Amino acid sequence: MAGSQDPNENPVAINVVPMVDVIFCLCVFFMCSFKFKQIEGKFDSWLPKDKGLGPMSADLVIQEIRVAMFWDDATQTTLRQLGSRKVKTDEELQALIRQGFDDAVRTGHPDIPVTIDAADKVPWKDVVTVVNLCKREKIEKIEFAFGAAPK
Amino acid sequence: MTNRFKGPDAEENVACNLIPMIDIMFLLLLFFMLGADMSARELEDVVLPKADQVAEESKIKQEGEGDRTTVNIFHNHTTPGVAECPAFTSGGVCRDLSHWMIAIRANYYTLDTIVKALDDEAQLEIEEVGKDGKAISKREVMIRADENAPYGYIQRVIEACAKAGIYRIAVGAARPEPAG
Repeated sequence: MAGSQDPNENPVAINVVPMVDVIFCLCVFFMCSFKFKQIEGKFDSWLPKDKGLGPMSADLVIQEIRVAMFWDDATQTTLRQLGSRKVKTDEELQALIRQGFDDAVRTGHPDIPVTIDAADKVPWKDVVTVVNLCKREKIEKIEFAFGAAPK
Repeated sequence: MTNRFKGPDAEENVACNLIPMIDIMFLLLLFFMLGADMSARELEDVVLPKADQVAEESKIKQEGEGDRTTVNIFHNHTTPGVAECPAFTSGGVCRDLSHWMIAIRANYYTLDTIVKALDDEAQLEIEEVGKDGKAISKREVMIRADENAPYGYIQRVIEACAKAGIYRIAVGAARPEPAG
């Protein structure tokens, strides 16, 4: 039989046992170090090239959709506000962003940015959630507001 | 009397055929070898925030596009006392900025030292010189921050990018696992 270990059938049979041992060791090594890769991606954003880190002019402040985010120590949650309106759910915030963006398009400002103005204590995942909501509305221009340095 | 229920002869050759097993072992080995991540340690173990709209990265570099520097922001998990931070280990947000670390290609930085590192990265690919005489870099910085990192920390890193003349910022996020 082909591949048989019987020396009578095949007088020049190779002893495959050491090779099997080595392959087992290699297999165990790669199995132990194996990790399924998480699907990762990115959100592109651009910092202003020629504005620097100084304060914005008044007319620029008006032409934006600003989402303010605060951390509430009492409830251990992030509070979100669009303009003067406090927003509780993601769906509500997405609807408000959509409404603000549609209004801006109607008034001739289709390139209006969404500015995320988050407090230092806000978790990064909550900021990314707002970025994600903007991307759902196909808004490409997303900016991060800069505050004072943390103490 | 002959034994009608005679078992196998002790002399009979019962060598097992190892070839199919070796074939399977080779296939398994090939699978694990190809699946193993042997790339340079650019990415640290970071729990990225989840986002369903995240764009998958294109491996093809566009014309005029610079190279990328990946900035990993993660909780210090090596220093005794810091690694066991109760706020972080309980799944909450650790707001002690000294507990957080920044890594670029397995080199570790703090908020004070990252400015110099990003400045060096920016100098590698200068795109143009701005109105104020400051060089603007076309290098992209990808921020891979832990989902529980405080925004204030990441904001300082973005600010360091701006100071270094880097304006192309990408935010890393993971696509959520499909339900079911």
